[in-house]
Amino acid sequence: MSLADQLAGKKVLVTGVTGFVGEALLHRILGDLPGTTVVAIIRPKGSMTGTARMAQMLKKDIFQPFYGEGTPYADADELTAARVEVVEGDLSDVPALPKDLDIVVHCAGDVSFDPPIHEAFTTNVLGTKSLLERIDESRDGTDRRIHYVHISTAYTAGRRRGAIPEASVEHTVDWRVEAEAGMAMKSRIEEASRSAAMLTKFRKESEKLHRRAGHLTAAADTERRRTEWVAKKLVETGTERARSLGWTDCYTFTKALGERVVEEFASKLPTSIVRPAIIESAVQSPHPGWIEGFKMAEPLILAYGRGELPEFPASPDSVVEIIPVDHVVGAICAVMATEPELSKPEYYHVSSGARNPLTFEQLYAGVRAYFSKHPFDLGERGAVRLPVWKFPGGDSVESMLRYGERAHKIADQIITHVPRGERTRKYARELDVQKRRIDFLRRYMDLYSEYAQAELQFIDDNVLALHNALEGDDREKFWCDTSIVDWQHYLQEVHCPSVTDSLRRLDVVRKKRNKALAETAGTLKKVQPSDDGSQIIAAFDMDGTLLSSNVIETYLWMRLLELDSHQRVGEIGSMLRKLPKLIAAERKDRGTFLRTIYRRYQGADLDELNRIVDEVLAEHVLERLSGAAVRRIREHKAAGHTTILITGAVRPLTRPLEPLFDEIVAAELAVDDRGRCTGFLSGPPLVGESRAAWIKHRARGTNIDLSKSYAYADSHSDLPMLTTVGNPVAVSPDVSLFRAARAARWQIVDWKTPATSSRLEIPGVNAR
Amino acid sequence: MSRPGFVLEVDDRTPPLLVHNGEGFLLERFPLGTRVVYPPEALPAVRDVEEAIQNALLHPLESEPLPELLRPGMRLTIAFDDISLPLPPMKKPDIRQRIIEAVLTMAADAGVDDVELISANALHRRLTPNELRDIVGERVFRSFFPDGKLYNFDAEDTANLTHLGQTKHGEDVEISKRAAESDLLVYVNVNLVAMDGGHKSTSIGLASYKSLKHHHNSHTMIHSRSFMDHKASKMHHSAWRMGAVLTEHVKVFQIETTLNNDIFGGPLEFLQKREWEWSIKDQASMLATKRGLDLAPAKMRHKIFTDVRANYGLTGIHAGSIEPVHEKTIENVHRQHLVEVQGQSDVAIMGVPFVGPYNVNSVMNPILAACMGLGYYFNSYRGNPIVRKDGAVILYHPVDYEFSQLHHPSYVDFFEEVLSESTDPATIEAKFEKQYAEDPWYIHLYRTSYAYHGVHPFYMWYWISHALDHCGDIVWVGANRKTVERMGFRSASTLQDALEMVSHSVGRSPSITYLHNPPHLLADVR
Repeated sequence: MSLADQLAGKKVLVTGVTGFVGEALLHRILGDLPGTTVVAIIRPKGSMTGTARMAQMLKKDIFQPFYGEGTPYADADELTAARVEVVEGDLSDVPALPKDLDIVVHCAGDVSFDPPIHEAFTTNVLGTKSLLERIDESRDGTDRRIHYVHISTAYTAGRRRGAIPEASVEHTVDWRVEAEAGMAMKSRIEEASRSAAMLTKFRKESEKLHRRAGHLTAAADTERRRTEWVAKKLVETGTERARSLGWTDCYTFTKALGERVVEEFASKLPTSIVRPAIIESAVQSPHPGWIEGFKMAEPLILAYGRGELPEFPASPDSVVEIIPVDHVVGAICAVMATEPELSKPEYYHVSSGARNPLTFEQLYAGVRAYFSKHPFDLGERGAVRLPVWKFPGGDSVESMLRYGERAHKIADQIITHVPRGERTRKYARELDVQKRRIDFLRRYMDLYSEYAQAELQFIDDNVLALHNALEGDDREKFWCDTSIVDWQHYLQEVHCPSVTDSLRRLDVVRKKRNKALAETAGTLKKVQPSDDGSQIIAAFDMDGTLLSSNVIETYLWMRLLELDSHQRVGEIGSMLRKLPKLIAAERKDRGTFLRTIYRRYQGADLDELNRIVDEVLAEHVLERLSGAAVRRIREHKAAGHTTILITGAVRPLTRPLEPLFDEIVAAELAVDDRGRCTGFLSGPPLVGESRAAWIKHRARGTNIDLSKSYAYADSHSDLPMLTTVGNPVAVSPDVSLFRAARAARWQIVDWKTPATSSRLEIPGVNAR
Repeated sequence: MSRPGFVLEVDDRTPPLLVHNGEGFLLERFPLGTRVVYPPEALPAVRDVEEAIQNALLHPLESEPLPELLRPGMRLTIAFDDISLPLPPMKKPDIRQRIIEAVLTMAADAGVDDVELISANALHRRLTPNELRDIVGERVFRSFFPDGKLYNFDAEDTANLTHLGQTKHGEDVEISKRAAESDLLVYVNVNLVAMDGGHKSTSIGLASYKSLKHHHNSHTMIHSRSFMDHKASKMHHSAWRMGAVLTEHVKVFQIETTLNNDIFGGPLEFLQKREWEWSIKDQASMLATKRGLDLAPAKMRHKIFTDVRANYGLTGIHAGSIEPVHEKTIENVHRQHLVEVQGQSDVAIMGVPFVGPYNVNSVMNPILAACMGLGYYFNSYRGNPIVRKDGAVILYHPVDYEFSQLHHPSYVDFFEEVLSESTDPATIEAKFEKQYAEDPWYIHLYRTSYAYHGVHPFYMWYWISHALDHCGDIVWVGANRKTVERMGFRSASTLQDALEMVSHSVGRSPSITYLHNPPHLLADVR
């Protein structure tokens, strides 16, 4: 009897139907098992109901042949009505199930290898348990026979070695205890992260970077660090618990415990446990190379093809248990038709290693051969140079990586401390690319090195028996004997072309986009007058943005003029001595730094300072203005925007720029009754978050539209100001702002101070 | 006696010749048969300058002697040429200082106490106090500057401008109110080239934009052939008409001086010698200078050239009524600069040097470099241009993207906003000039800082309109490709490539003329 006949009239519940295996299974049932009805539990996602998601799925290419002309169904809806029943719901809270189920295939699961421990238990253990309870409930106390097919993984064997039989995994771990402990970890780690010691640590770390921008920015970063830490700890805890009990990671560990749950229910429901190995693209059905999303090997294959995977901690002779998805689906269908006895679950290894092994070295050779013939075209630089793997073993790869990580850390330290400039930003960008690659390597090596060095062999006699029992053309349709796969053909002609295809298409788009980006890089879009009567502001920072200068320098300009040459030497010397301290203060808190500098104005005559600026310094300030900056300010003015200068510099220094701005917010030097500076400011200097607050306050109650407004600044401390407006522009940014701007896709421009001005010229002293 | 200028024909014995190339120079081998125009050597200088000044003031042309024009209670204004002259600047004492001191002495003797000194900078940038001091000397500076009696002319100070009327062509004559209301205006001029002096002094130097726009526009400039010959220059015709109106209202006592070609002294003296006559010492200093410049950072190179001060000897001083004085001046200038050249050629080659009238103590930006080459050097002819109609001009200059934000703020914007739209002078004039001329920010900078007026870059561009109209191809050797392209020109890496590039219009073996200046020359093309 053919499988179609055996399964005709049966109702099959499939969980995880939107996943990779689930979708392939649905496809096979709709296509090759015409008499079988599918019940699918689908979780609503966003605004889409489960039913809508099913409808959307059936519009995919592989389902097209099942409806329309030449089929019994006019369209996808008719097909759904006839063959598919959708149950809205989620496995975390399994809904009531139809009462007339014959078979349940549980494909849903967390496929990530490093899930947080509580999530792994929720899906793989507790979710399975509640599904089984619902199935049991659906029988209404009758002894209706429902065949439960559990999709597990071959790697539930964990870190065992040698031949693994198709049988229950031997261990004495109590899943209930483990599940309870695992679930409790979430709140315990959460609690630990909130301890004073941990919070102080997070705060200190983030203040090192963000203190200059202000307390709130630092606080936001502190909280981000805390949640990141919690997530990381949850993953780590899972992995370590798994390893302490002999599993590779939390995934295989919880999958193995899930099997225990299933085995407990085997007394009530006839049970089969299918354990596929590493599922990859299809050999034949739905079509050669069919794959949904990226599985285990794809990121590595792609990274290799891009030349970004210099080495891998694998043993060249270890067997990679790859199995095409259509073989898995064939096996599942064959298993569905079996009738296991109660309390005697059947086990099936869907794997290739036992009879048609593919070693890691062969896999590498296949992938390499493919990319040698069809290299990625990554732009103007021609084909990528493919790394040659020597398989030096896990330890040396690990030390190589550790060396890379350390080198990156040092380089990063340096780059964030050197003076900014175009070159610094270029290095910073290159470092970020390096960092991404190193992180990628670290992640995948940690995840996969266990698998790549595994020395186990999955016996698949049960699956072979199923295959041999297939009758007639079922052998073609539900083939599940992996010995027929020609791995080199599969890798080079089927799998690699399929997984690289989308990326190649993306590369073409990216290339075009990069070209367009390169052409417009550094040119700002023209500003437009407001079209809805709202007011637009353009806020500019001064030092470093409009002109190259800093408060120490401008202080010297102003003060040196009054002094004779001896005093000048003294003043410069005293400044130089204090420089390291000042720089440290500047990195920490700009407000304090400014106050320290401005304290030195004590005793200066404010009117005299104004006069000095007008008569001597104005030309110096104007000479250093960037032409592009002035053009931009004037463009805003011409468009009717309100131009505002927001600076921590003292008010007299802004005098030469007055005609360019509608408003100037600067540090006001407090004066005594004789007009002498007291060395204090009449209000706190406007830096960091105060600028953002000022802008927001300025906009409140007016018709200023901040989402259409502009801000221009150069330093990380201006981040809050830039984020308050809709059009932020990073001008010749420092490395931290550069990174933030790139991440947020803000415009970045380089406004250069004219090369003709000299930093060493001190106005009125040695200038012309 | 100094030797006259001459035309050398390059043969196989000719050594590599010196070509000015911005802040530096190079030695170039020209194709055989190239004509090289050398300026005359420096004329002998007047021995006793003080005596010559006294003589000019006491025996003026078609005017009473200066002392007779001075009386107590009168308003006396002394205007003088600004920093754009002479080029390079003059070693101290400046000739203007000597004359002004003599005039002031006579005024003091006559009991004149209402005296003001105005730098006739029209729309040029204001001079810094130091620059004013360099021109008028320490004594005059200290007596007049602190009281505000020595100052820069402000063409945007509408309250202090006087409209004197219109010429018969309807041209407005609007000049400094102080000058217009003075009983006597003494104009102290330095005539380096034939373009300066005459009615151009007051009617342009002390005029406002309203007045200047009548002759500083693309139409007039294209028909000024050339600026160096006031009788054939539409711009000068206009200035002369204005001068006629002006002199009806104002009594002008014009003092014009002419300088010789003694420009480079000391270690740079080889720059004004003929290459085959370089002594061992000249060759050594040439090599040392060249190596030094190649190695020096740009800023140091800039400083070396900015600090060049020329010896200059006085070749003549004339005072009195404007037109007869100017005629004498032109005679002197011609004596120093004129070189007879037989016929035009297909290709003209010029090396643009570091000096230019508008980048003294500043940088020569691309627009100024174009103006220096295609405005001044191209127009340095009498009769016919050195290159035939639709011929090619090849220039040397690095044309770096370098602007002084202090001195040339409107130039940067002109380069970025105007030249990116069009390089045609008439189009530019119609579309952009008014906007730049009336821009409050530029006016603010012109009046309070040291910036050229907003409209000034337009004048530079009109200045080259005759060359743009006349020449077929304009190629720069060794220039920054981007900046040259923005200005509508092409760039070549070597002279050979440049000649290759222009060969489609002038053929494979064109006739070539290389103008070997500075020192200045005026090609009398027959």
